[in-house]
Amino acid sequence: MAKKQKVQFRIQRFNPDIDDEPTYVTFKVPYSDRQGVLDALHYIFQNLDSTLAYRWNCRTGQCGSCAIDINGIPGLACRTVVDPSKQYTLEPLFNFPIIRDLVVDLGPGFRRLEKLRPYLERTSAPDRPEKLTREEISAAMELRSCIECFSCYAACPAVASAKQEFPGPIAMRELASFEFDPRDQGDRVQLAVTSGLYDCTSCGICKEVCIPKHIDTRRTAVEGLRALAVERGMGPLEGHQGFIKQIESTGYAVDVKSTPLTDQLPDVIDVDDPVDEVLFYPGCLINLRIQQVGLNVVEVLKRNKVRVHIPKDFVCCTSVAFRTGARAIASEMVIQNTDYFRKLGVNKVVGLCPGCMSTIKQDWPIILHEKDKPPYDFEPFDINEYLVDQLGFERFNQQDLKPLPIRVVYHDPCHLNRHQGISEEPRKLLRMIPKIEFIDVEDSDRCCGAGGGVRAGRRELSQEIARIKYEILSEVKPDVIATSCSFCFIQLVDVVKNSNSDIRVMNITDLLAASYRGESLK
Amino acid sequence: MTFEIIDTDVLVVGAGGAGCRAAIASSEADLDITVITKDILGKAHTVMAEGGINAALANLDPDDLCEIHGRDTCSAGAFLNNQNLVEILVEDAPKRVYDLENFGAIFSRTPDGLIMQRPFGHQTYRRTCYAGDRTGHEVLATLTEELRRREINIIDEVFATSLLTKETRVVGISVVDIRTGNFKVFRAPSVIMAAGGAGRIYDVTTNAQADVGSGYALAYKAGVELIDMEQFQFHPTGAAIPPAARGRLVTEGVRGEGGILLNKVGERFMIRYNPRSMELAGRDEVARSIATEIREGRGTENEAVYLDVSFLPTKIIEERLPTMLEDFLDIGIDIRNEPMEVTPTAHHVMGGIKIDASAATNLPGLYAAGEVAGGVHGGNRLGGNALAAGQVFGKIAGGSAAKYAATAQSPSLNRRAINEEYERVMAPLQREDGLSPSMETKQLQRVMWDRAGLFRNEQDLNAALQFINDHQKQITSQLAVRNKATRYNTEWINALELQDMLLVAEMFVRSALLRKESRGAHYRTDYPSLDNKNWFTNIMVAKHNGKMTLQNTSVVVTKWPPPWT
Repeated sequence: MAKKQKVQFRIQRFNPDIDDEPTYVTFKVPYSDRQGVLDALHYIFQNLDSTLAYRWNCRTGQCGSCAIDINGIPGLACRTVVDPSKQYTLEPLFNFPIIRDLVVDLGPGFRRLEKLRPYLERTSAPDRPEKLTREEISAAMELRSCIECFSCYAACPAVASAKQEFPGPIAMRELASFEFDPRDQGDRVQLAVTSGLYDCTSCGICKEVCIPKHIDTRRTAVEGLRALAVERGMGPLEGHQGFIKQIESTGYAVDVKSTPLTDQLPDVIDVDDPVDEVLFYPGCLINLRIQQVGLNVVEVLKRNKVRVHIPKDFVCCTSVAFRTGARAIASEMVIQNTDYFRKLGVNKVVGLCPGCMSTIKQDWPIILHEKDKPPYDFEPFDINEYLVDQLGFERFNQQDLKPLPIRVVYHDPCHLNRHQGISEEPRKLLRMIPKIEFIDVEDSDRCCGAGGGVRAGRRELSQEIARIKYEILSEVKPDVIATSCSFCFIQLVDVVKNSNSDIRVMNITDLLAASYRGESLK
Repeated sequence: MTFEIIDTDVLVVGAGGAGCRAAIASSEADLDITVITKDILGKAHTVMAEGGINAALANLDPDDLCEIHGRDTCSAGAFLNNQNLVEILVEDAPKRVYDLENFGAIFSRTPDGLIMQRPFGHQTYRRTCYAGDRTGHEVLATLTEELRRREINIIDEVFATSLLTKETRVVGISVVDIRTGNFKVFRAPSVIMAAGGAGRIYDVTTNAQADVGSGYALAYKAGVELIDMEQFQFHPTGAAIPPAARGRLVTEGVRGEGGILLNKVGERFMIRYNPRSMELAGRDEVARSIATEIREGRGTENEAVYLDVSFLPTKIIEERLPTMLEDFLDIGIDIRNEPMEVTPTAHHVMGGIKIDASAATNLPGLYAAGEVAGGVHGGNRLGGNALAAGQVFGKIAGGSAAKYAATAQSPSLNRRAINEEYERVMAPLQREDGLSPSMETKQLQRVMWDRAGLFRNEQDLNAALQFINDHQKQITSQLAVRNKATRYNTEWINALELQDMLLVAEMFVRSALLRKESRGAHYRTDYPSLDNKNWFTNIMVAKHNGKMTLQNTSVVVTKWPPPWT
């Protein structure tokens, strides 16, 4: 009989009564079919070490007691199935004081919640029975399904960096659950604004760790409350107003400082025997601030025999408006863009900035529907997605790539990874470059702090989140930090500069273009 | 020895649906209310109630009446119910549902905007109000919000070890603060026991880990009378894997939507037990049929049978069983393509602490509500009546306890008894070597499952009793925990829980031995039929002169006479 397969669990131990600092102890647990992480903890407790402390109760994902960090990601031990090919590190939830081993004191999280008047407020009881339509209650019902496991709170980069100022995604969800409850008469929006509503970077980790409830706190709660804050004159923040005004007056989120990309390029960039034809949507930053990034995208497309249209009269995708709640201006721009693209008659739109592309993919259709407009008739693609999945790996021009003997670490943009589900494609492209040394770090998907209007509205918080990210990325001593986002790009460039580092920040397409051109980046 | 004493007017033990509702009711008076819970506020077993809460609102079926709700309750309970309590249950349930709405609960709605009600087993009309498939969670989340509004003092992670009495009244409770390991005393004129059920006494259960039955044990040790302790409900379908979730509820809706039960050779075995109703036969019958298949070697290697919906259109599964689909997908089973493995699972204690219409026990100052209280459900509980009873009797207990506390003389403590309790609590921690709480608990759960579970007979029950008595003796003197740190010492708490579990198991088994017939959930293979002539009676358990004593008492019948009378 084959020897029973064992899985390794490295567990953080700490008893504040006697220990000065946490230590790690490794246990080997026999694997059984469909074993959960909670099963493994039970096995250790019952057979190997009964001094292990961990919390659990319902064991079916309904009480939220067993949330711990599993390989760095908060989750319920009972709902995490063990993969026997992996090794596991189990730690107590981040952002909480430890009671012992894997057991934390949720008190700080609960206390912040309790301060927000987390209960229905109405001035008088209604007559019974009270009628409520299904439509009226659907948003509140979704938000009320939270089991208070605090995984989102533990995972949230803004909680970690804003310290006492931000009570976390769970609190925004709680406030939204009352705001969207037709019976509630409390002023939840104001409370949200003064409790850090604009601290959220829209990174979306809160939904990712919300298993099994999948509450979309970023979208439903944060952006829902922000839209109301703008409607009621409480938002967005001063730092956002400039962008919104800029869009209103020029159609772009930033002002013109150097020759726009659209003025540097012809309407159509032709190639011999084109294999495909796309429209390149540069977005405001690439068009007006970091034009070289756009030129590199065009170069990569050209090298791959793709005919590229440059939309001379495009306007802002209004990601910043959607993320901060300024929906009125957003609607106007969406309609202007989609009418224009229809006139150009191109059926594939490719962009590098994932802020733009996720907005085009996810927010534009909602606006068009709301405004009774027909859906747009093109397919939007992120550049990595386009090159790997659409153009196809076999058609990709690999032979012209020249060696680039540098050490590269990759930063996953949240709007690319979480909001569009694209994380493998950029890695595939990186690995294709000859001689490149690609280091994949565990926290590659941690937010850089730029999104959700935080860079513009809450600069200090944004920089603090960026600093943590920079520490993670610089630890492996890369020559280049690669990413694929114009927003992450400028954020990382800033933090690198502030750290007096000589690490370079480049987009995937910048690296591909450099490799095609045979540049040396050393 | 010295120990911290915390004074309060009303002490609520347990923060599930009943305990929270009791605290809210008590807080209507100008008194100091304290709730202690073994876990954390909002995480009690109540959250696992999926189905709903019964109240004869007649939103869908205009002919429904409280009266009919009562009749359904008594008929399901094989008429063992205390009909005084049933009358209160059915009349108050609609008001308590509206209370929940006042506190902030959102129930699913009818197209007209009224509270939606679903049909549930053995009920004449659609009566079960629900919030999607997470009604218990909605109820407890709402009560949690209401407790926060009222700023009621909640103390998390505290384990109650004994009720303190003096001169035949309750004066408080002794506890271990799990987070520090400190032994403490809460002194209070009124105590509300709302500590939940005891599913954990069985090897396979739907219950959360907290449900070891300490409420029954503490009451018994304090001389409180309990009733119907042989009546334990088994649900036919609990998940068989993964091991930590063994017994997790697989909702009846799966069979309702057309799911079929198959044994390991692929035979649709219900045809041999009930060819007319097949998978939709009564819960107890389906449970016994599945157990028989497993016992006779036709189960899967996980000691289960298959429950299959994979032949149904994918769309039906996705639309009507979304939670089940997701729960199983999480453990790597796609029920659209493969069958689930299910086993009967221990679900609910119908019996419990005997209460009167004011939720008072026979011990002055002690009140009880929720699953820990007995008499409402008789021999079998209707789905949806547990949440309802928790709200109805929780409110009554809270009101009664506050009223009592407002006029009672301030309690004084029996320090000698507390010292003895301290010694008992600390003993397993101080013993250097001995029996392991984990291993002992597992053995008890297995014995109870095998010998005092779905099928009972004289021989098995005697064997179980023998086991319990032997182990009670051993454990008092030999149980030892290897973990010596007092802070969050689960092994130590488990050791204390085990002593409670043995006591509750003894009540279950002795009552089951006494009832020589089959009634409600209690099924004796050696007495397989109903015996109204000899056994239309409740069995009461209490401690007399240090011994567990059982006594038959007549059933309280008011509005709903049993058909045989």
